[in-house]
Amino acid sequence: MSTSDKKIPQLVIRDEFIADEIKDAHTGDVAVELSTLEKIWNINGVRKASILLGLVVIWQAYTVGFDVEPLMFPTFSFSLEKLIADLLSGNLPPKIWFSIKVLIIGYSAGMVIAAVLVLWATASRLGSDFIATATAMFNPLPAIAMLPLAMLWFGLGTASLVFVLVHSVLWAVALNTHTGFRNVSQTLRMIGQNYALTGVPFVVKILVPAALPSILAGMKVGWAFAWRTLIGAELVFGASSGSGGLGWYIFESSQNIETEGVFAGLFMVILIGIVVENVVFRNIELKTVNRWGMQR
Amino acid sequence: MTDGAQAAAGVSSAAAAVDPILDVDGVTLQYKTKEHLITATYRVGFKVYPADRFVLLGPSGCGKSTLLKGVAGYMTPVEGNMRLKGVDIKEPGPDRVMVFQEFDQLLPWKTVKQNITFALMNGGKCKTQREADDLAMQYIKKVKLDRFEDTYPHMLSGGMKQRVAIARGMAMEPDILLMDEPFAALDALTRRQMQEELLALWEDTHFTVLFVTHSIEEALIVGSRILVLSPHPGQVKAELNAHDLNHGNMSSPEFGELQTKIHDMLFADRILEDELQGEDA
Repeated sequence: MSTSDKKIPQLVIRDEFIADEIKDAHTGDVAVELSTLEKIWNINGVRKASILLGLVVIWQAYTVGFDVEPLMFPTFSFSLEKLIADLLSGNLPPKIWFSIKVLIIGYSAGMVIAAVLVLWATASRLGSDFIATATAMFNPLPAIAMLPLAMLWFGLGTASLVFVLVHSVLWAVALNTHTGFRNVSQTLRMIGQNYALTGVPFVVKILVPAALPSILAGMKVGWAFAWRTLIGAELVFGASSGSGGLGWYIFESSQNIETEGVFAGLFMVILIGIVVENVVFRNIELKTVNRWGMQR
Repeated sequence: MTDGAQAAAGVSSAAAAVDPILDVDGVTLQYKTKEHLITATYRVGFKVYPADRFVLLGPSGCGKSTLLKGVAGYMTPVEGNMRLKGVDIKEPGPDRVMVFQEFDQLLPWKTVKQNITFALMNGGKCKTQREADDLAMQYIKKVKLDRFEDTYPHMLSGGMKQRVAIARGMAMEPDILLMDEPFAALDALTRRQMQEELLALWEDTHFTVLFVTHSIEEALIVGSRILVLSPHPGQVKAELNAHDLNHGNMSSPEFGELQTKIHDMLFADRILEDELQGEDA
């Protein structure tokens, strides 16, 4: 406030000038090409693959070098051989198919129920409260904990697996979709109303695409829950319907003390997980939310 | 005041033969926040005639955007009525198309062309996809965005997005185009360019537009008639003519005079307040 003895900088008035012509900008060294090695190292897949390769090398070196008992910890190459042999002999493929089939049924059923719940929640406050309360209750509950109950109600079979799967998918998808809907901007809602969209067409044409990043996130979480839950449940009673799934294969191998079979089964579980996550979901994202600039 | 009264008289005699498109009569609009019931406008009335570039002008808090939302059908007045071509406005509809300030008014999952055809098909303007495509391309050319018709909105600049929104609104050929500060989020150079383009488009078809702004300059340039609103709650302060004013005569004395006149109207109270506060201190 008061004028102190502190010096304040003064304006320096300089001469004006105007450039007669703009010369070509000198752009010699602005961009330098990276070396080939750096370029390769910049590819995501290459870096991740080399991490995997490193792990495999450590595994193989440890089991071979220290001459570990194969019944406890077989070498990597032995486990891989077992996996390939069982795939080719036709022992494993039906088991994989069984697991995937059950997963698809359970996952789709969960999605349909989630869609109905979210529609209800969008239309009424009671529905919205229901989703909030039910998710708070059931989301922290591991789906596998429902298995004993499912076995009582539906017996040892696919129905029980589907029940547990629905439980693992439903809440993640419903919660994420509902939250996504609520975050759709007021402007987009008003645009939809402006062009005479109401009810289900409004949900399908405005809310679903606008909330797709969040819906896809829910579907990914739901998928991961479902896959884990399914393998876990199959470990308990996978063979009841005759063929049995991937989880049963792991359990069976362990019972027969074929440790390499256990590893082969785990490889398969991981492999399917990676494919769904990085091929199926990644491609959906690339074709939708990434293309639309809604997610980077 | 006498100037304004004479001008108003001149216009009303000419307009007597024509029916207003939009008739807003004694409208009070209220909305609720968590703690308060806020009266945004109090008994506001005005008439918009065909080919009007009617501007709602006022400082923040004068309820101009709320008033536009009322006309669009997103809000129902607690008092008074709003009629479009003699019919009470009850809900949003494609006969009144809204252009917003926000860039996210375009559907990000649709290309420039699809954004327009989406409106045309759902709004009932076009029956077939081909018809919609043709009409959309026609308006995309009008706003000079051909070559960008297959681009997704996130690749466009702010000015381009607003042009798509305007093209979408115009393609619907609504009874009245509602624009809620459509250029407020743009930089000054782009804003000026957009104002010029809007006026050029208006010259083509003389569409009716209701335009909200808080910039006096923009109101004078864009508007043919200006409704000045006072704040807290919004009430009509004046209705003025500005059809002679545009970018070309911004430095003319008339432009300056009207600008000063409106400025004094809007800020007279505030200046008084400031002076009182100054005396207190």
